[in-house]
Amino acid sequence: MPTLKAPAGHFTILYFASASSYTSKNNELFDTLEEKYNGMKAKVLASCLVTVNLEYVDIPEDCASEPVIKEGDEVAIIPPVSSG
Amino acid sequence: MPGELSEGTCFVALTKDHLDAKSVMDRVRSPKAGAIVLFAGTTRDNFAGKPVKELQYTSYEPRALQSMLAICKSVKEKHSLTAISMMHRLGVVPIGEESILIAVSSPHRQAAWRAGEEALEECKEKVEVWKKEEFGGKEGGIWRANRDGAIGVPFDGDEADEKEVVQGPYGPVIRPSRPGEKGHGPVSHPR
Repeated sequence: MPTLKAPAGHFTILYFASASSYTSKNNELFDTLEEKYNGMKAKVLASCLVTVNLEYVDIPEDCASEPVIKEGDEVAIIPPVSSG
Repeated sequence: MPGELSEGTCFVALTKDHLDAKSVMDRVRSPKAGAIVLFAGTTRDNFAGKPVKELQYTSYEPRALQSMLAICKSVKEKHSLTAISMMHRLGVVPIGEESILIAVSSPHRQAAWRAGEEALEECKEKVEVWKKEEFGGKEGGIWRANRDGAIGVPFDGDEADEKEVVQGPYGPVIRPSRPGEKGHGPVSHPR
């Protein structure tokens, strides 16, 4: 996987599996996330977990209360897994 | 890039190459062991009777490697294994080929049998790898979720509005488990 360095003032968000199908991309900047989030919430995000810099965090109920994401962080949307 | 991690006699890897059973077994081979149990997961040509053309695996690789290593360390400790190795293939895996190999070694066979099964179940429940089943034709593919169970339906989140709050390992679970569900449920932020 390419490791992308976020530009100043931004963070990186990674989508996988159903989360990437929904957004049609694997990386997306913060300014379009909120708009996409509302559409995704019931279909995809309700079943997803989130990691920040590889550690699992609680999913906030709305973006405004997001306390944990800092500039340069790597955020990943983790759908239910299906290895094996 | 796919990669590998190891600690002590635990070895985990993700690769786009073919999996080789002998090399995974050789990772756990030891004069202290009287048994090696090898599990090979292979790709099936159907899902609940529906023909599958091929499978495609994707992963959040650095996170998945950490989860795989944590599982291996915990299973090794619990069953006093000599060694354990776990390899998962990524990318397109043609039907009938290995997508996962797990090898465990221990002084005696009972522990190895049990540990091998437990390592696989933990992997399927937790490791950040996703399987897409391509059916061919107009329908395209479906991202599978292990927690839906072997004859389950593709996951959608429409049941999330049921308001029964149960404490799960990652916080309140905002919808009840489905039959056969093993994976993590959704969480909500505590107020």
